[in-house]
Amino acid sequence: MNKQFLKAGMLGLLVAGWLSQAALAQSDPTGKRRVTSTYAIINATVFKAPGDPGSKATILIKDGVILGVGNSLSLPKEAKIIAGDSLFVYPGFIDGAGTMGIVKPKDVERPKDFVSSNPADEIAGITPWRSATDMYTAASTQVDDWRKAGFTLSQVIPDGGMLPGKTALVLLGDGKTNNFLKLNAALAANYRSSRGMYPATLAGVMAKFRDIYQNTSLVLDHERLFASTAGVKRPQATPTQLAMMPVVQKQIPVLFTASSELEIRRALALQKELGFKLILTGLENYESVIGAIKASNTPVLIKLQVPDDKSIKAQKSDGVTESTKAQYARVKESYDKALKLAAQLEKAGIPFGFSTADAKATDVQKNLKAMLDNGLSKKGALAALTTNPAAILGVSGMVGTLEKGKLANLVLTTDTLFKEEAQIKHVIADGYVFDYEVKKKAVKAEATTAKPEAASNAVTVEGVWEYTSETPAGSSGGEITLKRENGVLGGTITYDDPTGSGKASAPIKNASINGKALSFEFDVAAGGMSLTVTISGEINGKSMEGSLSVPQMGSFPVKATLSSPSQTNSL
Amino acid sequence: MKKLNLLIATFFGLGVLVAQAQIQKGNVLIKNATVLTVTKGNLESSDVLVQNGIITQIGKNLTAPAGVTAIDATGKYVMPGIIDAHSHVGLDVVNEGSAPITSEIRMKDVVNPTEIGLYRALAGGVTVSHAMHGSANVVGGQNATLKHRWGSMDPADVIMQDAPRTIKFALGENPTRVHGRGNGIQPRSRMGVEAVIRNGFNEAIQYKKAWEAYQLAKAQKGNTTPPPAYSERLQTLADILDGKIIIHCHSYRADEIYMLINVVKDFNIKKVVFQHTNEGFKVAPEIAEYTMGASVFADWWAYKMEVYYSTAFNAAILQKNGAITSINSDSAELIRHLYHEAGKTQRYGGLTDEEALAMITINPAKQLGIEDKVGSIEVGKQADLVIFEGHPLSTYAVPQMTFVDGVKYFDRKADREDQRQWVAATEMVEPILLRANEEAHRCMQDVDKYFEAFQGAFVNEKH
Repeated sequence: MNKQFLKAGMLGLLVAGWLSQAALAQSDPTGKRRVTSTYAIINATVFKAPGDPGSKATILIKDGVILGVGNSLSLPKEAKIIAGDSLFVYPGFIDGAGTMGIVKPKDVERPKDFVSSNPADEIAGITPWRSATDMYTAASTQVDDWRKAGFTLSQVIPDGGMLPGKTALVLLGDGKTNNFLKLNAALAANYRSSRGMYPATLAGVMAKFRDIYQNTSLVLDHERLFASTAGVKRPQATPTQLAMMPVVQKQIPVLFTASSELEIRRALALQKELGFKLILTGLENYESVIGAIKASNTPVLIKLQVPDDKSIKAQKSDGVTESTKAQYARVKESYDKALKLAAQLEKAGIPFGFSTADAKATDVQKNLKAMLDNGLSKKGALAALTTNPAAILGVSGMVGTLEKGKLANLVLTTDTLFKEEAQIKHVIADGYVFDYEVKKKAVKAEATTAKPEAASNAVTVEGVWEYTSETPAGSSGGEITLKRENGVLGGTITYDDPTGSGKASAPIKNASINGKALSFEFDVAAGGMSLTVTISGEINGKSMEGSLSVPQMGSFPVKATLSSPSQTNSL
Repeated sequence: MKKLNLLIATFFGLGVLVAQAQIQKGNVLIKNATVLTVTKGNLESSDVLVQNGIITQIGKNLTAPAGVTAIDATGKYVMPGIIDAHSHVGLDVVNEGSAPITSEIRMKDVVNPTEIGLYRALAGGVTVSHAMHGSANVVGGQNATLKHRWGSMDPADVIMQDAPRTIKFALGENPTRVHGRGNGIQPRSRMGVEAVIRNGFNEAIQYKKAWEAYQLAKAQKGNTTPPPAYSERLQTLADILDGKIIIHCHSYRADEIYMLINVVKDFNIKKVVFQHTNEGFKVAPEIAEYTMGASVFADWWAYKMEVYYSTAFNAAILQKNGAITSINSDSAELIRHLYHEAGKTQRYGGLTDEEALAMITINPAKQLGIEDKVGSIEVGKQADLVIFEGHPLSTYAVPQMTFVDGVKYFDRKADREDQRQWVAATEMVEPILLRANEEAHRCMQDVDKYFEAFQGAFVNEKH
């Protein structure tokens, strides 16, 4: 797609852009320029908004705008036709708050006379003047991943301390520019304290937040007095106060990341005390605060990720005591409740959206399915992906539904959305069309439990594979050893140890081979955290190509070759 | 009343969410117990009637009004809910130790009502605890007085909203180690600690003046005075000067205790309580005369240099000198048996039952400024009560039931194995090894294998 073009580098981009501006008639040496920016999706089943039962229609888009949705549109000659007969079209998904494509700026160096009890704001993580735009790059693989999952718009959160900066709304369209839709959309806030300096704890962060807020309010009073009366001392707002002013004046909301019930209550309490506009994001546990959220009318963005079921899977049935079983039951109860939370929000009449921060793009379908299986309606799920976040972000006039005049953000699927068989075939974001390979899913019964003799598409999977992967940190690789025991595929993988030099090894889990498609997971311990890495790819003879995906980081290409196939067990 | 609220709430489609947000008040009649009122003597075979969370009657042969549950406490003891004047249970953060003065910090911001320590405290008869900021800085944060209303997920429900404000001060080794030696800033010595306090109060006086001047000027026509900067840190110190906040000061040595007495005298501050106060016995008359007393350990000592000159007679000496004295825990473990800690004042100092019990009830209530509400069994007070099997000062005492505002939050008979309010959906359940610590000692290394062979025969613990 655009990847090779991106590799040309920034300078190349600029030159190419300049050339195309300077002489439109010139040929395109890259061969990558779009032939047209007008597209017509003909005779597709169109779902204009959540709750729409869907009807056959044609959609015409041009230059990133929907020109019409209907059955009697006259199509211009330059329109590129996308046959929609077997496709289902939905409004493009909206990420209420995410961190895709965001790279954390370097920490500010501490001065020699640094005083930890009273550090400069910039060092203490208080940088409300910063903007996510300066940290965002549209060419990030994370952006590719989320677009592939159907997302066409994201509110990106800057990375940093307790007040890292302002968010921005970006369209996940053309990778050549950043496609900002709205700058300074909200002030990002969280409970991140500063290490070894004030504010060093959650308690300090809350006190500091009040302090900044109140003093900004007073500086505004001072400015008003200065403007209206002669003889007043000149006001001197700090960069922090200047950047807080739109919040204090209620022009923009505070986007507060609060995942647990207590964090949510604390943010609500601060809001009640100070009176700013608030959006809560990253909600994970919120059962007991649904009433408080509803009562305060606070918009919420829940994390698009249900809890990991690692602990549930690790529960043993044999050889455990009654008290351990009782503990298992409590974790299971908690887990089951967590899956029902989204449905509870819907039931309470809270129009929530999703946040992709700390979620995995490849798990979107799985996570939505879990929520739907636990009571969330399909209408509610689609609303949470489209109209609700559009309203929360204040862009309902531009996005969220398929209507004439709205931005050309669409998702085209092979079946009705949320059906297990449904796959995303195209995503149109900002009028740019992205095509995705649709896999023919093999008959399910042949998946993980397939017996060797039952498999028709015989591929050799067992043995030692040598793989390499390209990540932002450079090229890395190791060996994948796959073996089938009692019909279950398993083995080990070696990888570059993230904590030092040399190789580390981890057991392979959840391995499955489905036709030519291989996928498995393994856990990597890094900095006290355990990350689950997923490798999936397609086997062709002795080689495999696919992707390696890491939560919160994105997915990266991976290639492997079967260096020593297992003698006995080839399928 | 509660039922009505619930009914109304249900009708308006809000479910129980509204009802939950209100603090529960209970109705109960405890019958035929030995009532240890603490302030009004002991009453044999007597009843205590609680209505809507308040003690309404104490006497013999009371009858339960309609809808009030009666509990037969024959042969048992009822005492006021135990009050711990120094605790850190139920807090997500204890020390914002990054600056010598952090009076803007509010422990109420970081209360965690689901912390299991609160339930364990209830199981030890403790109904009120003083959730304090730590002792890393000279002036720490503002504390929260908690009522152990276990079961609520809302911090507001466990905070005793009608308790006065209190604040943590700290003298001696802790603040000088963290700031002076750790960060190379004032205070590096005990003299520095005094300077930090005095400078803080003097700045607060200036701050207050600046705001008063601004408020005056603001009302005038053609005002040219801009608002001064806001500082909750200085405002809080000013509130101390105005008598709105009780100081609770971590202290050990007699010289520094006397120093703070002189400082607060100079600033005309009356409300001060000393915490720990291991050398309080040396300045007991001064503490008695000028302060709201001392809250001490029963017999903790020698855990650092400044606590070597200590005696278990400390509480009794302070008490005999007329200082309001309480025994505290400062520990999630000791808080479970403060009645034992209070009993030590009888072994070391020969205090009477009533004097010993006052150390964990009415005296800490006075130090927290809540003695008109809790701390004794009197008509009109909030019904925080504990029913004991055995006299609470006996070694064999076992708390049976604990009530806060007449609502039973602990019942030994209904005590479940797992009392956690909240369990993470992703928690990995690991076997609980009661003998894990033994394995950490090298002297028993590899012996376990030997035991394993005989485990079925000798070892019963399966966790």
